[in-house]
Amino acid sequence: MIHSHPTLEQLTEFASGTLPLSVSLGLSGHLEYCPDCTAQVHKLQSVGASIMEQVTVPQSSDDDMSRLLAGIANRIDRSDESSAGNATVEVAAVTDININSSTSGYRLPKVLRQFVETDYNELNWVRLSPAFKIATLLKDTDGTQVALSRVKAGGAMPHHKHSGDEMTLVLEGSFSDESGVFTPGDFIMRDSRHKHHPIVTMDGECICLMVLDGPVQFTGTFTRWLNPLMRWQHSGI
Amino acid sequence: MGKLAFFEQYREPLAGRSVKSDPLDQQLIDISAVAIHRDTAAFERLFRAFVPMIRAFNLKAYPGASLMADEVAQEVMIKVWEKAHTYRPEMAALTTWLFTLSRNARVDYLRRNGKHVSLIDPEPIWDQLEDDSADQFQKARQREFEKQVAEGLAKLPNDQRQVLSQVYLEGLTHQEVSEKFNIPLGTVKSRVRLALKSLSIVAKGSSI
Repeated sequence: MIHSHPTLEQLTEFASGTLPLSVSLGLSGHLEYCPDCTAQVHKLQSVGASIMEQVTVPQSSDDDMSRLLAGIANRIDRSDESSAGNATVEVAAVTDININSSTSGYRLPKVLRQFVETDYNELNWVRLSPAFKIATLLKDTDGTQVALSRVKAGGAMPHHKHSGDEMTLVLEGSFSDESGVFTPGDFIMRDSRHKHHPIVTMDGECICLMVLDGPVQFTGTFTRWLNPLMRWQHSGI
Repeated sequence: MGKLAFFEQYREPLAGRSVKSDPLDQQLIDISAVAIHRDTAAFERLFRAFVPMIRAFNLKAYPGASLMADEVAQEVMIKVWEKAHTYRPEMAALTTWLFTLSRNARVDYLRRNGKHVSLIDPEPIWDQLEDDSADQFQKARQREFEKQVAEGLAKLPNDQRQVLSQVYLEGLTHQEVSEKFNIPLGTVKSRVRLALKSLSIVAKGSSI
């Protein structure tokens, strides 16, 4: 059962559109697992709507409106031809993919489809230790890295700390660390003060979505050699 | 389906309001006319009703940036045209739908032009929220809740209403509110929390 949720502050910033997109991506993934937080976001959006309604709206001239309307007239026509007629069909197709999920039985969150077409196996996995692999989904313009981590059943991720904030969303399997057991849908935000040592449970591999603000630093005596590799992973070369 | 039969389905959520005179009802009729009949006259009425509000929403965050306000408003209205068929009146008030479209368009504009440059496609991030998976009970409660919020906002103390406006309208993070207005971050958080508590949004997953 999900027990690690976003904070109210994160949900509010998600609903108001001020949370960084990379973290919003993970939070959106969490919502696919969590009806409670979804309901909360709906509520927070209606707060935004009520506030928007109370803005004093200056009088706009008819000319202004006509000019702005004329500015999109051609796009309205075009979008009508291209998308509106097929809209229902498209919606149905997307839902279909969702139900079937991917071929290997993974539940692939919809929000990750911009990076993963059908299956986690199609990604370019880089092995960092016998039990631990990572696949970079995106090195964003601001330096944020969005990646998937994959650890074998019973395997451990090397001792590490973060140089920035780290967001984790559990997608498959489960892991435990000093603060408990985490299962699919759990949303975990850690800052650079945390040093931790997650161990994957014995019943299966564990795949997590990770959003990293800065490179991860390995702190164990034998895993320090991974640091240059992670910095390279992070540098966008 | 005949026009009348189609409009008939919108009567239930509107029960209790005077049906003919309310401009909101006209907007619901116009939205459905856009969705089903691709009615451009109805679209123009919606355009003239919504665009001033969407522009004001953006000018509140970026005073003087009227080109940005124009462009975001136009993008929102293109979405209204494209997605009118996905709007579910029983699920959310029209203004809530409009708020989410405006927020998304603003985020997308900033991603492409402004301070939050990113390669992540923002559309799927909020799109899945539109999925119609909530049960009838939840939907009824959501609509009920929207009424309460509108009433509750008016009763909030000034400092709490202000901070909500900074977060939602001006598009500031809690941290940015704290820096811009020189208020400790903890105070910003507790004002938001108190405000959301008075609006009966139960705090969840947070221990602050």
